[in-house]
Amino acid sequence: MQSINTHLKILIFIMVSLGLLVTGYQIWVLEIPIREDETDDIWSLDAKVDFRATPGVPVKAQLFIPPLNQEYVTLNESFISNNYGVSVNQLNGNRRVTWSARRASGTQSLYYRLVLTKRYGAEPIESRPPAARQPIALDGPEQVAADALINPIRQHSADIETFISETIRRVNDITDDNVRLLLDGQPTPLNKARVIDLLLSNARIPLELVHTIRLEPSTNQEPELWLRSHNGERWLYFHPETGQQGIPDNRLVWWTGNLPLLQLEGGRAGTVSFTINNSEMNALRLAKMTTEASPSALLEYSLYGLPLQAQQVYQVMIMIPIGVLVILVLRNLIGIQTLGTFTPVLIALAFRETQVGWGIVLFTLITALGLSLRSYLEHLKLQMLPRLSIVLTFVVIIIAVISLFSHKLGIERALSVSLFPMVILTMTIERLSITWEERGGGHSFKVALGTLIAATLSHLLMTIPELTYFVFTFPGVLLVLVGFMLAMGRYRGYRLTELMRFKALTKQG
Amino acid sequence: MLFWKTWKALSEAGVMGINRRNADYVLKYNKRHLYPVVDDKILTKERAIAAQINVPDLYGIIDTEKDIGKFTQLVENHKDFVIKPAQGAGGDGILVIGDRYEGRYRTVSGKIISLEEIEHHISNILSGLYSLGGHRDRVLIEYRVKPDPIFKSISYEGVPDIRIIVLLGYPVMAMLRLPTRQSNGKANLHQGAIGVGVDLTTGITLKGTWLNNKISKHPDTANEVAGVQLPDWDGFMRLATSCYELSGLGYIGVDLVLDERKGPLILELNARPGLNIQIANDAGLTHRCHAVERHVAELKKAGRTETVEERMAFSQQHFGKPVFLSADEAPVEEPPVEPDTPAPDA
Repeated sequence: MQSINTHLKILIFIMVSLGLLVTGYQIWVLEIPIREDETDDIWSLDAKVDFRATPGVPVKAQLFIPPLNQEYVTLNESFISNNYGVSVNQLNGNRRVTWSARRASGTQSLYYRLVLTKRYGAEPIESRPPAARQPIALDGPEQVAADALINPIRQHSADIETFISETIRRVNDITDDNVRLLLDGQPTPLNKARVIDLLLSNARIPLELVHTIRLEPSTNQEPELWLRSHNGERWLYFHPETGQQGIPDNRLVWWTGNLPLLQLEGGRAGTVSFTINNSEMNALRLAKMTTEASPSALLEYSLYGLPLQAQQVYQVMIMIPIGVLVILVLRNLIGIQTLGTFTPVLIALAFRETQVGWGIVLFTLITALGLSLRSYLEHLKLQMLPRLSIVLTFVVIIIAVISLFSHKLGIERALSVSLFPMVILTMTIERLSITWEERGGGHSFKVALGTLIAATLSHLLMTIPELTYFVFTFPGVLLVLVGFMLAMGRYRGYRLTELMRFKALTKQG
Repeated sequence: MLFWKTWKALSEAGVMGINRRNADYVLKYNKRHLYPVVDDKILTKERAIAAQINVPDLYGIIDTEKDIGKFTQLVENHKDFVIKPAQGAGGDGILVIGDRYEGRYRTVSGKIISLEEIEHHISNILSGLYSLGGHRDRVLIEYRVKPDPIFKSISYEGVPDIRIIVLLGYPVMAMLRLPTRQSNGKANLHQGAIGVGVDLTTGITLKGTWLNNKISKHPDTANEVAGVQLPDWDGFMRLATSCYELSGLGYIGVDLVLDERKGPLILELNARPGLNIQIANDAGLTHRCHAVERHVAELKKAGRTETVEERMAFSQQHFGKPVFLSADEAPVEEPPVEPDTPAPDA
């Protein structure tokens, strides 16, 4: 007995932890939404390139576009241009699109559109740390100014991180003469970044310029400049003006390096304007889209991989264990008597088709009529099988009559008593009459009432849409249910109704 | 909370609930494949006869429609007899014939019925009208038990029977079931019969239960049910104890009757005995069952088994009322004094 108990405990543990593990994996690793109506942001980024083409000269416009190895999933990417050839190539870890045309004239507009979403993105692939660098050579006064800045910075810093912060702080102090000299009177972020780069190169600290786009609905957004450096372990991001460390979540890296966003040959007055829009999309639909877009088998092996019709059937079927659980709790913990274990669940399923209120009315009416016929037939001393056959035939007639009457009265609902509920009803009446014969009318009334309560409860629970979605999406919870049921199999405590039944035993005397 | 208080009180009193009965006793000690022995009264009877255990005499078995014609032949030499479905439950379908009257039959309740009616009844039994789940059944015709007159004062019609719960061959609790007007003369607690606890040591009745309440008087005869000495109590105990070997089931309810001529007889066995016996005895089953299980475990360690007599003695020594394991002397005491009487000395 002891070994069986340990066995059982281990089994429960395995079931519960396996179920939780699978569900947890789906929720936290695959990031499948917990609620059906959960939505995700979808960002659509438009970059519009305008320029005036120089007549008679081949046109070549090169625009940086975001690398795809980020923590976003690209849903769609398109290049829109008339009469231009398009090619995308890699350049120093960046991606660049090249539009080219033999000849063009007048104002030209080229579009680049990227649609992406954050959820379901893979971990971004870290780019390799840059190699150690040589100091950028400077002449006379600038070298002196740089040295004058670097020495106190070095004294006020402990490592690469603090060195960079300190440098950014000093470069943004425009009252400093040395800084003014190096900036050459142009305090733009880009120029500041150049000076910071210059100073850091003297300290042999690598630095990269990162041009980012904020993911928020806006038009005419300018790319925001960030600096990043590698401390040997990871990339550190800094804002070149505020010195703020760490890049906010909503920044999308567009390109890195010193090169300008747009390079134009055979054209002039080139401008790039960004328009960013966001829309919401059902997270689950999105998940399916990303599964199609990427090779990851995110939902491939879930029930969503089934054909749609099969999915609908399974959405009903997978809730049956929940209904059974209700019956188990009602019977073994509360102590309500029901007609067998599965019958209440079947009635609950039948309620799906008739609606619960109507279902209860029909169930009560038909069962009462069927049973009263049965007790009448008892006087005739008929044998069991013929008597049951009569009852069942009568039930079919009752159902037909009810359907007919309610149709004439304009209540269409009763017509919904289709084949499935009818079979269940007749079966219930058969079983109830057997109970009546074995245990008497009072008992069978109690059982019928218990069955009705159990069926209603499990129907209500089985049709909660959130629960259906959850169990259907995370079938692992069924294993947790099995664990609970296993534990219930060894439950030895009293049932709630037994506390009433044995109440006399608590009184003394 | 109210429920919690009741729960604790019950659990302290060792009252057994259905869940515990099923998990710890029925499922643990009763092998499924042995159920037919107790579900089919004919099988039970055959086993009992083979083991020389007293049962009502078997007059005949009818198992096909064709054999219904043999009925008159089977009961030819008997003035009174009982017709029973072999797999009936709750006493349904039992026809008790007490006498003959002008070629017809008279039931014990005085109703005159014809041979055709009896044959129709037999046919109903065969078609499974009274069997669990409506399976085809067999008909048993046997000796009619005449209850000992001792029960006259505390019983209404019918035959009172005695239910003894036997765990691993050790009787743990006993109850006398008395038919009432409400139960239509049937000794079935669900149908309104009363259950009266019986002291295992002496065979003297205790107070009773009726519809889950404690009672002390029979509702129909208004006579006190407590304090009646059941005759040949050791005979009852011996029969019940030996049912363990007979059935092989570890947790059974044995139903016995007392015939005025033949003494204690076994009527039937039950593999899922009800729990109301606890109310009748005003005592819980759990502690007694644990005591038996401990005792059996000790015996197993010592590598020996006990005979029917030894097991009977163990039970009678330990499960008298009150349930003190030390009570060696016969606990023939006054029932507990009302708590609010000061009573320095009775």
